[in-house]
Amino acid sequence: MTTMPPEAAPRRRPHSTTSLRWLLPIVLVLFFLAILIWLPWQARQMESNERQEQLIADTLWVEQTIRFQMGRDEESLRSLGVEIAAGHLTAAQLHERMERLLKNGHELLRVVWLKPDGAVAGSSDPLATPVELTAASRATADITRKTRQPMYTQPEAQTPNQAAAPSAVLMDYHVPLFRGDDYLGDLVATYQASALLDEMVPWWFAQDNQVSLVDRDDKVLARRAAAGPGHGVYTHKRALDLPGASVTLVTDSVKSEPQLLPNLLVGSVVALSLALLWSLLALWGHISKRLAAEGALRQQMSFRTAMENSLVTGLRARDLEGRITYVNPAFCQIVGYPAEEIVGKLPPMPYWAPEAMSEYQARFASVLAGKVTPQFETVFQRPNGERVPVLVFEAPLVDNDGKQTGWMGSILDISDRKRIEELSRQQQEKLQTSARLATMGEIASMLAHELNQPLAAISSYTTGALNLLARSAQVDGGLLKPALEQASTQAQRAGQIIRSVHEFVKQREPQRQQVAVASLLDDIRALIELQARQSYVSFVTEIPPDLPAVLADRVMIEQVLLNLTRNGIEAMQEVPPDQRVLRVVACHDAATAQVSVAVIDRGHGIPQEVAERLFSPFFSTKAEGMGMGLNICRTAIEFHGGSLTHRANPQGGTIFTFVLPAVTAAAAAIAEQET
Amino acid sequence: MLHIVDDEAVVRDALIWLATSRGIAARSYDTGTQFLQQLGAGQFDADGDCVLLDVRMPDMNGVAVFDQLSVRGLTQRMPVIFLTGHGDVPMAVDTLKRGAFDFFEKPFNDNQLMDRVQEGLANSRKAGEMAAVHARLATLSTREREVLDLILAGKMNKVVADELGISMRTVEVHRAHIFDKMQVKTAVELAGLLK
Repeated sequence: MTTMPPEAAPRRRPHSTTSLRWLLPIVLVLFFLAILIWLPWQARQMESNERQEQLIADTLWVEQTIRFQMGRDEESLRSLGVEIAAGHLTAAQLHERMERLLKNGHELLRVVWLKPDGAVAGSSDPLATPVELTAASRATADITRKTRQPMYTQPEAQTPNQAAAPSAVLMDYHVPLFRGDDYLGDLVATYQASALLDEMVPWWFAQDNQVSLVDRDDKVLARRAAAGPGHGVYTHKRALDLPGASVTLVTDSVKSEPQLLPNLLVGSVVALSLALLWSLLALWGHISKRLAAEGALRQQMSFRTAMENSLVTGLRARDLEGRITYVNPAFCQIVGYPAEEIVGKLPPMPYWAPEAMSEYQARFASVLAGKVTPQFETVFQRPNGERVPVLVFEAPLVDNDGKQTGWMGSILDISDRKRIEELSRQQQEKLQTSARLATMGEIASMLAHELNQPLAAISSYTTGALNLLARSAQVDGGLLKPALEQASTQAQRAGQIIRSVHEFVKQREPQRQQVAVASLLDDIRALIELQARQSYVSFVTEIPPDLPAVLADRVMIEQVLLNLTRNGIEAMQEVPPDQRVLRVVACHDAATAQVSVAVIDRGHGIPQEVAERLFSPFFSTKAEGMGMGLNICRTAIEFHGGSLTHRANPQGGTIFTFVLPAVTAAAAAIAEQET
Repeated sequence: MLHIVDDEAVVRDALIWLATSRGIAARSYDTGTQFLQQLGAGQFDADGDCVLLDVRMPDMNGVAVFDQLSVRGLTQRMPVIFLTGHGDVPMAVDTLKRGAFDFFEKPFNDNQLMDRVQEGLANSRKAGEMAAVHARLATLSTREREVLDLILAGKMNKVVADELGISMRTVEVHRAHIFDKMQVKTAVELAGLLK
């Protein structure tokens, strides 16, 4: 309960494991993110490769298609050439064959038979128009005549050709015609490059791909455009294997690169991972907040524990049934029981002193009734029987909801304070003693004077008597008698003075004990009443029955009372008998914990000039007085830690009041323990 | 007459008894004021006066009373013996220097005190006589004083007359006047008086 598990030492160790513990998830998260980034990239890459391959395959297919068609055309042209060479074709048949060629192959713009001189021997056109071959075409014709192999011309824009559309790119195919070794000219088939693409590339391919034909210089010969977002992303080149011509088929997919974001999978993965990250961060934040709060709480806790442990004030919490729920080390130290022996106990507590049991019980009953004395002094008992005077403050213990759950008490060990008070009182006494001794010097000188009077008188009387006797042997006894009587009286007076001073001076350790004022008065009542009766004074005492006792030397206080009452009685000798009332009134001042005793007479009072010297030693207003009475009284009262004062009685006369410290319950316990 | 000034009735009573036992007339006063008042009204005693003065008294202490006597020039005529208590010695010595006759510290030897009282009374008487002589001297005229001085020097009338440039007869008349005023019969007696 009171001993918290020691946690200051191991608190540092988790620091390194914490960083390790955090390192792993961070690495994992980074790894996860890397994979997350890599996977879509990879997927995209794969998709991209797939498209490229698809394009290559399609392009190959297209190339094959074109090549196949052109091969068929070549075949047809060669067979036509063979027939021409055979020479059994009429002009009409030739024309019809040529037209059929054109019909079968829309890519062909025209087919003409050119004689070696360049004249048109037959044409696919119904109207035979002279054909102007390009320079390249003529060169090809020469080569074909020499090699007797059909050849293509390098396609080029043939603006001069009126049959073709402006800037149309045309390509000629020359088939040399020989009859034996006789060169009959060339069969020239003219392809329009754009028509090649338009006719031979299937629509589904053209829809997704831009198809172009380029020469070796990458000059575009023909292009079949297709609408689409992506150009130049996926392209493939495939050379058309045409003898004499260098033509490359270029396909360019209109499909753009695979998009990353529209990818639902990627999107959701990204979104989820972002959400994961966010929640992770949030969790992290929450955890660190909790850790901080926990740390603060722990710090607060250890601070509180340290505070409670360092307190010298005992703390004790009790629930509403009076069961002890918590004590701090200081409390354990005060009562001398370890916490585990007290916590959870119901009254009667082990530290209750038997003699004050009823007091505890009464207070506990009021606690159960929901009332506590906010502050009180009491006594606790240690296991060895030692009594500890304590000051207890109690306050309700209220929980968060404002509901009372018990009582919190703070307990102050006041035995030190009591001890110090005792010590300072003893110091005070010593001081008083030395003060008394200081006045002793004064007293001594005054005593000498005082004693000198009777001694001188005695001496004078006896010397005088001796003188008389010396004068004559026969002296009348009657003459000597008054002198001797006077001498005797003075001797007695001297003895009296010595005795009274001895009473005051004698080095007697005052017997301080608990004394009830009433019992003090009872002891000397007879003496006071004797004096009072002689002076026809009525003597009245008013002592409250619950007046606390005082710690005092019985004899000294009795002397003081006797002195004050005698003064009071003597002061009233001149007043009318019905006024002659001497009252002794005692009362208790709880605030200052003092008992005051007033001796009230209705006598002649004290004039101002007398009042000033009232307490001076050897000041007396009485013929027989020594002037020591009030001085001694005051010293005696101050010796007890009280004070002696006087004031005028409003009804006439004087009130002498002395106060003495009252005996409290705790002080009584200490006194009892000491005895 | 012994004047006892003490606030203590017992002491006064005892001292009167003591003085009486020695045949000394005594009178007591309980305060210094009372003593000074009575003194102002009364006359000197032919047997001499002496004052026993208690130093410590309420009302007016012994020193104050002595100071009053000093002011009045009575300390020779009324020798003052101080009665001091314990611790009053320095004060008493001081008063001695100022003309007090003696001091006794209580408790004192009573007969020694009375002896001193008697000496004091004698002194007082002598002082009284001196005072009387001086009073008589004061009645002499200037010429008579000159003649007196020469007579006391032991010169004969003739020599006196020569020195003063007066006649023998005149000197004799002066001489007769001087003897008359000084209440003496012979020159020897006169010399004794003015010793």
